[in-house]
Amino acid sequence: MRLVFDRGTIVLLDANQPVAPPAETQDFPGALWDARIAALRCPARFHPALVAELRHRGVQFTDEVSGIGPALPRSLPAVALRPYQEAALAAWEFSGRRGTAVLPTGSGKTHLAIAAIAGSAVPALCLVPTRVLLDQWARTIEDVLHVPAGRLGDGDRRVERITVATFESGWRHMHHLGNQFGLLVVDEAHHFGAGLRDEALDMCTAPLRLGLTATKPRGPAGLRLDELLGPTVYELRIDELVGEYLAPFDTIVLHLDLTPAERDEYDALTAIFRDVVARFRRFHPNATWDEFAKIAGRTEAGRRAIAAWHRCRRITAFPSAKRQVVGALLKRHRTARTIVFVADNPTAYAISREHLVMPLTCDIGRKEREKALSLFREGKLRALVSAQVLNEGLDVPDADVGIVVAGSKGEREHVQRVGRVLRPRTGKRALVFELVVRGTNEIKQARKRRDALAA
Amino acid sequence: MLPEATIPFRVDQGRVLPGFLDARDVPWLRILIEEIDRFRGRPVRELRQRLREPLPCATPHFKRRAAVAALLRLWRSEPEALVPPEKARECLFCARAGSASRKEALDAAAATLGVDAAGLERSLFADLPGERLVRAPDVIPSPPEVALRANQLIARSLLFHARRVRIKAEGAVRPLVRQAKLRGLLCSVTQSGQPVLELSGPFSVFRHTLLYGRALGELVGFLPQCARFELRADCVLRGEEAILDLQTGDPIFPAEAVKPYDSKLEERFARDLRKAAPDWDLLREPEPVPVAGTIIFPDFLLRHRLRPEMSFLVEIMGFWSADYVTRKLDLLCRANIANLVLCLDETRNCDAGDLPMAARVVRFRRRIDPMAVLDAAGVSRGGAP
Repeated sequence: MRLVFDRGTIVLLDANQPVAPPAETQDFPGALWDARIAALRCPARFHPALVAELRHRGVQFTDEVSGIGPALPRSLPAVALRPYQEAALAAWEFSGRRGTAVLPTGSGKTHLAIAAIAGSAVPALCLVPTRVLLDQWARTIEDVLHVPAGRLGDGDRRVERITVATFESGWRHMHHLGNQFGLLVVDEAHHFGAGLRDEALDMCTAPLRLGLTATKPRGPAGLRLDELLGPTVYELRIDELVGEYLAPFDTIVLHLDLTPAERDEYDALTAIFRDVVARFRRFHPNATWDEFAKIAGRTEAGRRAIAAWHRCRRITAFPSAKRQVVGALLKRHRTARTIVFVADNPTAYAISREHLVMPLTCDIGRKEREKALSLFREGKLRALVSAQVLNEGLDVPDADVGIVVAGSKGEREHVQRVGRVLRPRTGKRALVFELVVRGTNEIKQARKRRDALAA
Repeated sequence: MLPEATIPFRVDQGRVLPGFLDARDVPWLRILIEEIDRFRGRPVRELRQRLREPLPCATPHFKRRAAVAALLRLWRSEPEALVPPEKARECLFCARAGSASRKEALDAAAATLGVDAAGLERSLFADLPGERLVRAPDVIPSPPEVALRANQLIARSLLFHARRVRIKAEGAVRPLVRQAKLRGLLCSVTQSGQPVLELSGPFSVFRHTLLYGRALGELVGFLPQCARFELRADCVLRGEEAILDLQTGDPIFPAEAVKPYDSKLEERFARDLRKAAPDWDLLREPEPVPVAGTIIFPDFLLRHRLRPEMSFLVEIMGFWSADYVTRKLDLLCRANIANLVLCLDETRNCDAGDLPMAARVVRFRRRIDPMAVLDAAGVSRGGAP
């Protein structure tokens, strides 16, 4: 029997060319009979389990799956780690080098990953969510380990023994790269587990896997992530690092009111939405938001309700009161380095135009973004405004003040955002302002965000 | 692709009935095209905002979304700025960090860049997707043409949810096979009368995957090259299994020029051969060659115009994976075609022992020399053996 890698799957080829699965291959991990090629096939991630099972059953086979290149040089420089990073690395190693480390934003997850790569000494593929992070990771790897880092994404297609790929490029190329790495590192791993692009992790044979996140999902998505990457091996909260490794911070929640015109419009739109939701709930009491949106999109009334909900979100995202407060806060903290977090790009551009603050959005190209971050670091730019680009992973220079105008992605996003201003400095105490509109859904969301931060 | 929730279709007794646009949709399509065209020279965000609002006539919601998606591929956008926006942003936002007021920063940056403050503000975000100005296509498509484009988008979006596709085709099967393989699909060809292609992703035994769903959807664009076809797809839509049938005559092919060659390499080879050896014809789509359980589709038939008995099959193996080359060579060895000229990319490093015994081999780097092909075939350009 031969094991071969075929486009993100492992195929068990039997020289006898059977027409049905041979008896000795019953119940192989993850394997199903593929009648198209008259052979057993399983997703590539089952390769280590499959090999173990074949050996256990005493089946003779040749393993032609691995396309892994030469190991990393043994002379890689040692990676200096903080005590909690060392603890996380040890926990991962004790778990058979499979699992997820849950560490707060700004705690140095990239360095932990680089130490794991150096310690494992096998070719590694690092998946990162954005093009900005692709470049940041590749540069950090080259700086720390002094080896060339391959890049897949943002116009680059260079594969090295350590390669960094965006989620998108990893997903597109895993069917032919999936057997070339011994270690798979997934940054911001919480993006996986819910189905979208999970197949990228399924199509990779790497037996060693390290997930990194500040906010691991719970429920089915968390369980799926455990399957794909391994269980949580180490977990730290923000408050456990505040002081020595993260700057202490104060959160100030500013409750604001809509203008009468905004309030009237908000109430009218909410009524439209609530009416449809109430009718829907009568027949689908346990339905999720996605299910509601799917079903509502099929009727005129449902579509009106969703449009009303979107409009409500736009009203609360940046009403007049928030507009005034943002101006006042930027003025008040004009000597500090400030990051303004908003819900969407139009709001980012509105603030940018009004207060002449540099926007960092997905529309701004890589070079300009890097230049802006560099100017921010040097103090030539005093403030940045962003909807999502600054939420995760990006190595944002030291900032003192965060203004959370609105969010669109819930508690997880908030934890990531707060982490952006917690880079420690002697005597620093960060300030996080949360702007919340009274009498709207934002009150409940703000409470959930604070709970998530405390958890 | 259209999101599943917005594709116009319904399922009746396990059959997908696509909501294709037809003659009844022409009146509102005309209004939609005129409405979009009104926004030429205006920012894209204004157009998008307008498209969220209703048209002055009744429109079927999902069909309209498909038509808008098809139209927005034709109406492009371009930036218009007095100073490069990137430079304007850097200058102005840095000026703001050192200025007491907004106006002071604007005046200082405008003076540095040599424009007035209003011009600077207009240029600030002129390159962003929403701020770019709408540019109309050279030829405004007619409503029936837009309907066909929207229908193709609908068909592709439905196939995006396919696990498996069977295509019974007549003529131009090779480009389909080639494109399917390029996209990593499993493709088996059987022939009893017309060739039948069975296409699916390797993962389809486990579940539907977006990666191969997209690959299946993209094949729609190559179907117009077939003289006739019948396509049957096993889809998973709204969580249920359903069958989608498409065939010749379905209104899903806009009047776009069909690409005559599969790659630039092939196109250049055909052009060079026409110049270098005018007595030889290069025919696309020669008869497929059956080989143990499957079929080979050679790239070309090279035939002398006056002596048609002098003909050679030409197979070009260019930019492919090592695995593909190995399998293809194995297949060609088994076929052992006597009149085969195999053009092989030098970078593939194939050993002579791997090549088919009967094949005449031409190695090339980036460009295939037509004279080398004729030499390998053992003939001169005039046709003398």
